[in-house]
Amino acid sequence: MSDRLIKMQIPIILTAIIGLLMIIEFFFPMPATITNLNITLRSFVTIISAAALILGTIVLTIYHGKKVGTKGSEWYYSIVYILAFAITAGLGVINVRDTTFLWIYNNMTSPIGAALYSLTAFYITSAAYRVLRARNWEGAILLVSALIVLLMLIPIGAILFPPVVPIGTWIRNIPSGAGFRGMIIGTSLGIMGLGVRVFLGRQKEHLGIREERRGSE
Amino acid sequence: MSLMDKMLALDQRIIFALLFLALAFPILNPVILPMDIQKYSRDSFEFADSIPAGSVVLIEGGLGAATYPQGGPGLEVQIVHLLQKDVKLVFFSISTEMAQWTVTAINNALDNLPSGVAAENGVNWVHLGYVPGGESGVAALANDIRSVKTEDHFGTPIDQIPIMANINKASDFAACFWWGGSEGSIPYGVRQIVTPFGIPMTGMCTTNEVPNYTPYINSGQMIGIIGGVRGSAEYEYLMGMPGLALGQAMATNFGGLLWGILVVLGNILYFIARREEGAD
Repeated sequence: MSDRLIKMQIPIILTAIIGLLMIIEFFFPMPATITNLNITLRSFVTIISAAALILGTIVLTIYHGKKVGTKGSEWYYSIVYILAFAITAGLGVINVRDTTFLWIYNNMTSPIGAALYSLTAFYITSAAYRVLRARNWEGAILLVSALIVLLMLIPIGAILFPPVVPIGTWIRNIPSGAGFRGMIIGTSLGIMGLGVRVFLGRQKEHLGIREERRGSE
Repeated sequence: MSLMDKMLALDQRIIFALLFLALAFPILNPVILPMDIQKYSRDSFEFADSIPAGSVVLIEGGLGAATYPQGGPGLEVQIVHLLQKDVKLVFFSISTEMAQWTVTAINNALDNLPSGVAAENGVNWVHLGYVPGGESGVAALANDIRSVKTEDHFGTPIDQIPIMANINKASDFAACFWWGGSEGSIPYGVRQIVTPFGIPMTGMCTTNEVPNYTPYINSGQMIGIIGGVRGSAEYEYLMGMPGLALGQAMATNFGGLLWGILVVLGNILYFIARREEGAD
């Protein structure tokens, strides 16, 4: 069997057949055999996704291990990663429902995540003070819209300035809603176009073809 | 440097300190101010309230460390709401972290449950845990739960869980509640559960993401949406169970007003500076 057949044609044919099976089932009633086949294929996705998590962890650990081994730039951060990974994964493997493992999660991982996210409020406020200026008509419209929507969203806004509710709702449902609807439809059409290209074998990035060419250059 | 220039180039540490005070003060000294209930929140609440007793509903727990402060209190109070109505709950999450946070929400809700309300694991609720595969995983779950999950989050085989006896696909549920946080997964529910199976759904997302999903509400694909901490606070308010979200929503009053004042002040200073430059 030729290399091209194995690396390109069979994956493209498989992608097209499986993709079409999924799409047809979505729109038309199908025999039980096809439905059961699709169920099996979808369960493959969940298994592969779970395996990808393990693969990703291994790759990341190898990367940091190499960095420590070669004393690459800021290699000491890699030691932090390796230690954190080894302790957390070790305790998780012993018993994921053990209180020590959950203590690490509840008292270290969660507060860090929450703290990082809440920092955005501070940076957004500082940035808005410096940048959100009515430098021209477009900027003025943006500024006024932002203030109206802000007042609509804070609980006391409607009590202090009742007109912000109908105006803010109109802004969110009509101009903003139209923009988002356009974005959703545009993205969906783009996905459909990409799907057709993949089925026809015009789009080969998912097979790693572009990377191979670049690598061979 | 003139005072005007200093004000225009205000040290961001001062802004940070002002915002910190504006947010911290109402949390440490909670005062519940009057609030207007948004239509999307009211629709979400009334939809949950209309579900008949004995029905089984699907709940996606998509809140993580970053989004739990916004949506967690709302999810907790909705769990109390539905269990009080004798609605059976089937939870799942599309990320490992969020599966763990869903356990937190369930535990907190059970702690606040009035006495006498049935809330037995496996009978009144079950947490299926992490379902890998993103949207494909949701599609697989919607078509055949047992093809993706053989045991629940706590390791009990699904076939030994009483609540799951007659449940194996999305059409077996009366409703879906998608607590998506900021993971952007609400369209998964619309595409894989609402459209193919006709299951009515409400969602929850962070405040900034509400406009992303209003087209789904306007088109009738979603009933309503709980938007951020305010949405959670409104759910608490409608349930008559003031909790964390109401206190935090009051903090957003002060934080939001400070944001608006700073922006207006920045613009006033900008125009004064521009006029002075023109006069020179």
